[in-house]
Amino acid sequence: MSAGNVKYKRVNGDAVEYEVFARKTRLEALRLVGSVVAPDDDLAAAYARATYDEERWIEMAIVRKDHVIELWEPGEP
Amino acid sequence: MSEISNLVLSLADNKQLLGLRYAEWATRAPSLEADIAAAAMGLDDLGHSRVLYGCLEPLGDDPRGSDRESDPASLCALPYFDEPWTSWGQFVAANAVLDTALTVMIEACVNGSIEVLQHRLRKMLAEERYHFLHGRSWLRSGIEGGPLEEAWLEAIAWFGPPDGDTAKLHESGALSLGPAELLARLEEQLEIKAPKRAVDWKAWDPRRRRTKPGAIDERTFGMLRGLEEKRFAPASAQKQT
Repeated sequence: MSAGNVKYKRVNGDAVEYEVFARKTRLEALRLVGSVVAPDDDLAAAYARATYDEERWIEMAIVRKDHVIELWEPGEP
Repeated sequence: MSEISNLVLSLADNKQLLGLRYAEWATRAPSLEADIAAAAMGLDDLGHSRVLYGCLEPLGDDPRGSDRESDPASLCALPYFDEPWTSWGQFVAANAVLDTALTVMIEACVNGSIEVLQHRLRKMLAEERYHFLHGRSWLRSGIEGGPLEEAWLEAIAWFGPPDGDTAKLHESGALSLGPAELLARLEEQLEIKAPKRAVDWKAWDPRRRRTKPGAIDERTFGMLRGLEEKRFAPASAQKQT
């Protein structure tokens, strides 16, 4: 089952949602810190950095939400 | 005035004006994400301009005169920044072409022989990567041709004539790239060719690195000098000044 991905109509074509992950120390795991909507990976990277840069992350990564493979969702056994 | 100080001052002035123009779009861009990116890039470039102004003293020759308090034409910024941008296309052309042109020059400083520039400017390159990704992506989505051609021509003029100061700084090793290499690097980064129109080098002002006269608008010049702040001060504070 894959996570549903909302299509956003933007100025130029469709954009998709990207999840933003980050961590502050090597000891902690990457955690979800938010999301951005962009039409391509480059713009998503620029938006993620601009939006979530106020903390001193040592690592930040983005993943297209429709590339996340969900095993089960809330309410499912 | 030494050639490298003049160039660093021009970098600083252009970064300052670029940052201010970006910030003016922080509530006018096509999406919330683009608003935030405009604000963040504006802050980055204003910060970079502070670092660059701070390099003038260790370079040993600060070319800033007292006329910077009274004459907007004393600033060494490009005509593209003289007036606030009225279209998103102007923003994107500046973001993709002019911001990247400044970054390419910073790369040439970092890889050149002047120690203070090697050390102090390096961090800017990491931050500028996101400006570049933002500008190139929006550029690929398509903008009108006018601002794009204007930005290209001003970038080429800013790199300097084939036998001018940047060519000499390249020969001496202070810059790792000369005017032709700077343009080639900019084209390579953006994956597009510059327009074939020639720059009128006879009209080129070596201090301001531009071919057109003119200066920034009065309101922006007032803001740079703190005059806009005074306008918002309470009446009691205004009487004291």
